[in-house]
Amino acid sequence: MSVGQVRIRVPEKAKPGEVVTVRVLVTHPMETLAFKDGKPVMKQYNFIHRVEATYNGKKVFEAEMTQAVSQNPLIAFPVKVNEPGTVKVIFHETTGKTYTGEAQIKF
Amino acid sequence: MEPMHDTSRRRILKLLGAASAVAGAISFGAMLPSGAARAQAPGMPLEDEKVADTMKRLFGGRAVQDAGDRIKVDAPLIAENGAVVPIKVDAELPMAPDKYVKNIYIIADKNRRPLNAKFALTPEAGKASIATNIRLASTSDVRVIAEMSDGTLYGVTREVKVTVGGCGG
Repeated sequence: MSVGQVRIRVPEKAKPGEVVTVRVLVTHPMETLAFKDGKPVMKQYNFIHRVEATYNGKKVFEAEMTQAVSQNPLIAFPVKVNEPGTVKVIFHETTGKTYTGEAQIKF
Repeated sequence: MEPMHDTSRRRILKLLGAASAVAGAISFGAMLPSGAARAQAPGMPLEDEKVADTMKRLFGGRAVQDAGDRIKVDAPLIAENGAVVPIKVDAELPMAPDKYVKNIYIIADKNRRPLNAKFALTPEAGKASIATNIRLASTSDVRVIAEMSDGTLYGVTREVKVTVGGCGG
């Protein structure tokens, strides 16, 4: 598994107005800070600090995460769907990189 | 090795170094916080914090009401591995455009930095329900706090026993 691989699971079909749960998983080490003699060893550590989700371009969900979220973070969040469309989830890493995943919701 | 080859290699390395330094400066600038919410660029080591200070930083002394049955937290009673503790939050709170659950915070009291994650929702979400996996350093109370759009705070606390801590260090 390579770092930054985003997998999204949505229900196969949804009804208009239904609240669907989007489950998204990203392969990421979510580095924690290593300590030696009570002092941090690394200057900067690499984890996903922000997640954004849009549905048809409209922002529906945002999360701020810390290094206290597990490796290969899994997040589930609700989206109310009124029309078919695309869920897009963007993960922002502390190094400035972003990882994106998309999934279609059909009626 | 020809001297010519050596100089060109050196020049290329120099160029590369300069380019990456510029790129680094740009990305660092982009990462800098826009508001006062974050005192440091993300990813930089932060000071250890007591949970009372975290609560003060996040909510500024606002009282947290007991949510009772309105927030359901699905977390294990005993987590064998503190590195992956699944947690599911279902809040039966209004999600109307004028009053909705704006943020859901997950706070583990005994972690080095108690704030685990903050989830921001919109009325388009339809219901306030999120799930994720968190790390717990040791057996600790886990607080789930829902912040309404009008500023009201509802919270519940669950104790999770941890056999092996999951925060490294």
